Amino acid sequence: MITAGEVIERIKKNLGVPWRDATYRDTFKFGGPETVVTGIATTVFCSFDLVRRASAAGLNMIIPHEATYWSDRDDVAMVSGDPLYKTKADFMRERNIAVFRIHDHMHAQRPDFTYVGLARELGLTKYETAPGSHRFLLPETTLGALAAQIAKQSGARALRVVGDPNAKVSRLQLGVGYASPPINNAEVDVVISGEQQEADGSLDSPAYVLDAVTLGIAKGWIMLGHAISEEPGMLEMAEWIKGFVPEVPVRLVRAGEPFWAPK
Amino acid sequence: MSQLSRREFATLAAAAAVAPLTLRASRAIALSVQDVIDRIKKQLGVEWKAETVDGLKAGEPAAAVTGIVTTSIATMTVLQQAVNAGSNLVITSHPTFYSRGDAKTPPAGRGGGLPAPDAVFTAKDAFVTKNNLAIFRLSDHWRLRQPSPAAQGIAAAMGWSKASAADPTRVDVAAVSLDALAADVKKRLNLRGGLRVIGDPQLRVQRIGLLPGSTPLAAALKLLPDVDAIVAGEVREWESVEYARDQVTEKQRKALILVGRIASEEPGMELCASWVKTFVPEVAVRHIAAGDPYWRPA
Repeated sequence: MITAGEVIERIKKNLGVPWRDATYRDTFKFGGPETVVTGIATTVFCSFDLVRRASAAGLNMIIPHEATYWSDRDDVAMVSGDPLYKTKADFMRERNIAVFRIHDHMHAQRPDFTYVGLARELGLTKYETAPGSHRFLLPETTLGALAAQIAKQSGARALRVVGDPNAKVSRLQLGVGYASPPINNAEVDVVISGEQQEADGSLDSPAYVLDAVTLGIAKGWIMLGHAISEEPGMLEMAEWIKGFVPEVPVRLVRAGEPFWAPK
Repeated sequence: MSQLSRREFATLAAAAAVAPLTLRASRAIALSVQDVIDRIKKQLGVEWKAETVDGLKAGEPAAAVTGIVTTSIATMTVLQQAVNAGSNLVITSHPTFYSRGDAKTPPAGRGGGLPAPDAVFTAKDAFVTKNNLAIFRLSDHWRLRQPSPAAQGIAAAMGWSKASAADPTRVDVAAVSLDALAADVKKRLNLRGGLRVIGDPQLRVQRIGLLPGSTPLAAALKLLPDVDAIVAGEVREWESVEYARDQVTEKQRKALILVGRIASEEPGMELCASWVKTFVPEVAVRHIAAGDPYWRPA
């Protein structure tokens, strides 16, 4: 028998970096340390659909990278008046679910599994210039061919691309989640990332790439979506936890891409 | 197509009536950039804020205006088209230099080091200077206007004539499937790869809510329970996207259509051109669409 609290203690012990108690992200979002664990599901978003599938598979501890109640702070006060919140919380209570988010410490850990997993899923691993650089040198291709390849590898239905499809690219910088590397780096042709606001950031990639194209500067930006970019690394997270939690099954259960796109 | 208020329509008619006089006067006294800005501030019906991203981002207030272009974002392509059309004042909803601060140099590198000169920033700034362009950002204050011009613009572009005049963010349409609605939005807003949808493609949609621009979870929490589908510009994926996804899981018969922040404000900036025309009769005022930035591989 193992409790959720014991799982978290083992995660902290094996992490390799100090645990920061100041984190508001990496905490229990439902259930608590005393919940007896029947199995562990890692995932990117603690979506309701994911909770139902994990529970049906006998996995009652969920370790998501992102939020449960639709905000970064999982601010229950903001959503507690919404019937959907009550339905989701009631379901988790009935099924004896525990949810513990791992975000800040996953990015602090070395290697950062989000990057490792995404590079693996996109078939980029062998092209990385140095471990942990998140920079890749590909055989020269076009932005159009690269984007098609990335769409196929990731299975993303609603991936978005900015730039000239015929632009020659080979130097790629990888970003995950809401952390897009600067597109204006002179040593980078193309950035692949998760999510970024379109304007009023510190370097708005879509607008920059549009202008670069008009000026004849070869730049490209492939935006996967937040879930697609950070879900693969939750496989590495599951494998890692499995190494020190042998008592129960541990596996990735994908929340998946939320979007579709019309033809 | 523009859905100007009755008051604005009256102003337009009045302006047309006095146009010959004004035009005669304009030969003697040129219309300056500052004149246009002053008239915009006066006509907005919104008090000008001390802290704002709005304002003159390039060009001289005293420069004579040869023509005005409105756009969602003043890309290089839009600027080139403005110059070709003989216009030197561009009114943009979004930043010109890729950040909230609109600084004409890239942000400092990691550790605060001086950034290397950036070819895109430099070339765009040089183009603006060489062509004596003035760029005025109108975003915060445009958004504060009621009823929402951005929502009015989308409703007009969609042909939703039954949009409420008092609250254009709420529209009732004849029942349509979500996939047909998404296809129609894509066509009428001239989208390419920027359109993304959450929800059952077969869902019947009648009540539509509009959230142009960039909106937080609170906006979706408030609106989605009262409508079948929201058409939004940009939201955070860990907020309204996940909320909509959970609503769909709970068979709440809801949908969210994202068109992109830039694309969502383009129809509103088209209305902006019609609006500016009503109080700036001296020069040509036209809208130039920046277009959907995104494409998607086949």
